[in-house]
Amino acid sequence: MFNRVKNVGFENRMPYLNALASEKLRFEVDTIIDGQIERWYETVPYAAHLEGKTVDSEYYRRHLIETAWRIRLLRVSESKALAEIAKRSPEAAQIWANYEREEMLHDELFIQDLVRAGVSREQFLATEPYLSTKLLTGYFSYLLDHEGPLGVVAYSYLVEYVNVKLEPKKIQALKESVGENNIGGQISHSHTDINDDHPGEVWAAIRFLLRNDDDIQSLKRYLAEHQSVLALYFKELYEDKIGSTLQKAA
Amino acid sequence: MLFKVTLMPHKTEVWLPANAPLTDLEYELIGKLSIPFGCRAGACGVCAIEVIEGINDLGEKEANEASFLEELGYAGDRYRLACQCRVLGETTIRVADYTE
Repeated sequence: MFNRVKNVGFENRMPYLNALASEKLRFEVDTIIDGQIERWYETVPYAAHLEGKTVDSEYYRRHLIETAWRIRLLRVSESKALAEIAKRSPEAAQIWANYEREEMLHDELFIQDLVRAGVSREQFLATEPYLSTKLLTGYFSYLLDHEGPLGVVAYSYLVEYVNVKLEPKKIQALKESVGENNIGGQISHSHTDINDDHPGEVWAAIRFLLRNDDDIQSLKRYLAEHQSVLALYFKELYEDKIGSTLQKAA
Repeated sequence: MLFKVTLMPHKTEVWLPANAPLTDLEYELIGKLSIPFGCRAGACGVCAIEVIEGINDLGEKEANEASFLEELGYAGDRYRLACQCRVLGETTIRVADYTE
């Protein structure tokens, strides 16, 4: 007789990377993301639009709508990820659960700003998410079913790192263009990411999920793939709200 | 940046990156005497420590951590729950109820 129980997370509790090696990898990953950010600004249409002096109101409203939808849709897959993470590392699961607790209802912050921008809650609910937003959700499902939770957690690291790095600049610009009183939700969201050290929290979960060099290579690939999927969204947003208007005007 | 954490009474030295959680001691001290960790959420009290040096280098002590420590009989600034600490400087610590 042998014990058939598996996936309980205690097979190997030691992190693959010790504290110093983890810090070194994180620095390497941050450098990779910095490079991705540069390419993002060069290749994605209107990538810096919300950091500019004037903001197209239709573009802004739809961006808030999609952001709220993305949080609503991804929190379902991210909750499913918790079960997969717990099978591999209860330490990572504890960190992930806490992170999700803090993020779970953040769609409300964006919906509050939507109302301030003239879009009611009913109008928001009546707006179906973009295809690119649905595809991102689908990619998460694929990852959980076929590759494991690391890719889902990697997405959060990418988003949190970028938020902490770029949101203050964007928020400052939106205070000028949209008005500080109209972006209270986004300001609060940014506070959470920065003050609760969300990048650090997500990295701590990643560290426990990395079990070998192949996982490290996978992590780097996920960062690139998530950027590609997110670029689809910004292209769809641009085509819908800016490109189509330009075409009609021509 | 790395900071030295000294674990008494054996003067075991561990170097941890800035902002590392003290729970990392468990993984850095395999097979050696370390701090016992339980819930890692500040709720069980297993990891209560006495800070001998560097009380200000382990991050802020929240009010609920302070009141729980008091409940456990560890009143005063020098006690912390190790799982709630982040390494921000050189520190010397020991398990709160350690006896030789």
